Amino acid sequence: MNDALVPVKSDESRDKLIQLVSFNLDQEEYGVDVLKVREIIRMPNVTRVPNTPSYVDGVINLRGKVIPIISMRKKFGLMEVDNDKQTRIMVMDVEGELMGFIVDAVSEVIRISGSEIQPSPAVVASGIDQECIAGVINQAERLLVLLDLEKMFSGDERQLFASM
Amino acid sequence: MPPFDSEDQELLEGFLTETTELLEKLDDDLVALEKASDDPELLNRIFRSIHTVKGASSFLGFDLLVKVTHKTEDVLNRLRKGELAVTSEIMDVILEATDLVKVLVSDIKAGEIQEREIDGTIAKLLPLLSENAAAPAPAAAEPASGTSQQAAAEPAAAPSPEAAPAEPPPAPVTQEVAPVPPPKPAGDAVAKKAPVPKPAEGKGEDLSDNTTVRVDVKRLDDLMNQVGELVLERNRMIQLNQDLQQGDSERLDFNEEFGKLTKRMSFVTSELQMQVLKMRMIPVDKVFKKFPRIVRSLARDLGKEVDLQIFGEETELDRSVVDEIGDPLIHLIRNAMDHGLETPDERVAAGKPRVGTLILAAVHEGNQIIISIKDDGRGIDTDRVGRKAVEKGLVSEDQLAAMSQREIFDLIFLPGFSTKEKASDLSGRGVGMDVVKTNIKKLNGLIEIKSEKGLGSEFILRLPLTLAIIQSLLVEVEGEVYSIPLSSVLETLRVEQRMFHMVGGQEVLKLRESVLPLMRLQRKFNVQQRYENDDFCYVVVVGAADKRMGLVVTRLVGQQEVAIKSLGNYLANIPGIAGSTILGDGRVTLIVDPVGLIDDGEGAPGR
Repeated sequence: MNDALVPVKSDESRDKLIQLVSFNLDQEEYGVDVLKVREIIRMPNVTRVPNTPSYVDGVINLRGKVIPIISMRKKFGLMEVDNDKQTRIMVMDVEGELMGFIVDAVSEVIRISGSEIQPSPAVVASGIDQECIAGVINQAERLLVLLDLEKMFSGDERQLFASM
Repeated sequence: MPPFDSEDQELLEGFLTETTELLEKLDDDLVALEKASDDPELLNRIFRSIHTVKGASSFLGFDLLVKVTHKTEDVLNRLRKGELAVTSEIMDVILEATDLVKVLVSDIKAGEIQEREIDGTIAKLLPLLSENAAAPAPAAAEPASGTSQQAAAEPAAAPSPEAAPAEPPPAPVTQEVAPVPPPKPAGDAVAKKAPVPKPAEGKGEDLSDNTTVRVDVKRLDDLMNQVGELVLERNRMIQLNQDLQQGDSERLDFNEEFGKLTKRMSFVTSELQMQVLKMRMIPVDKVFKKFPRIVRSLARDLGKEVDLQIFGEETELDRSVVDEIGDPLIHLIRNAMDHGLETPDERVAAGKPRVGTLILAAVHEGNQIIISIKDDGRGIDTDRVGRKAVEKGLVSEDQLAAMSQREIFDLIFLPGFSTKEKASDLSGRGVGMDVVKTNIKKLNGLIEIKSEKGLGSEFILRLPLTLAIIQSLLVEVEGEVYSIPLSSVLETLRVEQRMFHMVGGQEVLKLRESVLPLMRLQRKFNVQQRYENDDFCYVVVVGAADKRMGLVVTRLVGQQEVAIKSLGNYLANIPGIAGSTILGDGRVTLIVDPVGLIDDGEGAPGR
């Protein structure tokens, strides 16, 4: 499934229909593979966890399971804003582990065909790691940035956690 | 390995469980036999065990196993009939044979039968079966007429003590002992798979694993009963909710009913928790059982005489803990045997009985289990330990001079520390005690050393009963709640801030006779200040292994039993945090890792 997100030239993947969940972050629209999204919840109480990278907001209790919460804005180096009624946590499966990502708002589930995915231009947005952008989708009015969650945390960051 | 169909698989599993149990018991019995060689009851039991293994293996067609057990059984039979007398040499051979049996069984368990080299061990057993090897005379140097050619090449019926098999795995036997018949030609069906027989040096010790548990049917029934209760209470709860929704019940009624329900629920769940915990409990015997054998081998290797006494082996603790304490205990026992106990001659010279005593005891105390390893040997020589530590550059002269006796004892836990001039097979590499400390800390346990020069030493381990659910102390740090495992908490104090002193940039508190280093959790965890500075604060004194430290917190919230939840891989290694738990209101609370904090505190300036 993951392969389909990467702009591969193979014909099969180009014609494949992909469902994406789109969400907003600082006036931009992003999309992630719907199969990665487990649920979308409102902001619960977040317990702060000391000595973690700044974009780790803390942990929450998701029906008896403790999962980390990542602020997408902080992760992408965007300006921080207060949470409002639109703020949501997208609980996603990142390499077999559940993680919650705070986004400004979740809009809808869209269907696109693989052929609509274009490789990302050299600079999409400042601050966002090029690494985790799987491509952009140009659909009439809108421009969607397709995220690859597996690449969300670079090797260095993983190392950091492992050695901490 | 021949493919088993499902029915055979069941048979095989039954065989493995039974055999494993028999073999575990066997080691113990054999060592006991050496001490009480005239106990016919014991001898018969041993004989029966081996016989059972033989019978079952021949039924299932494990030929190698049959061969070894058959010969062992024959030797035991002669012992039983009084044609042979129990000697250490004979025991060595029998123990070697049982080790081989264990290796073979573990092969079967692993699902892969290997062509093991068994003839060497059998060759050692054979002479014991010849007529001449009768009675106490061990030196049947003359090859017996009745035995085969192999025996003719056998140098002596009983190997000299030096040739005694090394512990733990049977020495890669034979080569020097006897020319063994060459492996069967590779026409043999099994030999095709593994043409070269492997010498039997697998890990027979690991035979017992804890992946399956046998649970008393009664306990299982009790559990089912409790689950039934729980279901009833749930139904009651649903009913109450419905009534409330439909406005059927008066508010007052509801309150009363709900109060009752809560009580019953809490009763049922704690019962349930106890029962599940009990199922996970296994007697510490599981670990203690292998020590007589280890002590016997060590004593023979070191030329020491030891009387090992075991108490409280029926004491139960959680599987998770049982799995972890084996290693530290082996190190502590080795340490006591090697460093603690003197040789018989030294003991006599010191006016002590020739035979040293080693006591291994386990006992419950509240929510902890206490294991003690005590010897009546020479005790810890603080001068010598101190000198060594200085020599190795682990502490400076000045530091040493300021150390209390207890702190000097603690030096032996430093990595790389050893008072032995030369590393032996057993110890002297300075890894042993280091391992003990790390493992005990991992279990949230404490170690205490008591020792008096010339009289002996005692190592006392305090361990929590289980690792899954813990008693914890909830504390508040500027509005954030943290949970500290109660097993590490020694005491709590309410102190005025002005009682704190500074020593070399480190805050300390004078607590009775000692000086306690302090750590402000607020600073450690970067908690934002929320309250006005108060004159009073609370200090939670925590201990890990042999260290003490005071954690400064704003307020104590209370005690609670909490279930440990992992933070997942991503946040697994946060310093000072051991995990998390969920409180009654659904909030997540982090569990403080006192061990990590204390280690960290050591690296802080001023220490």
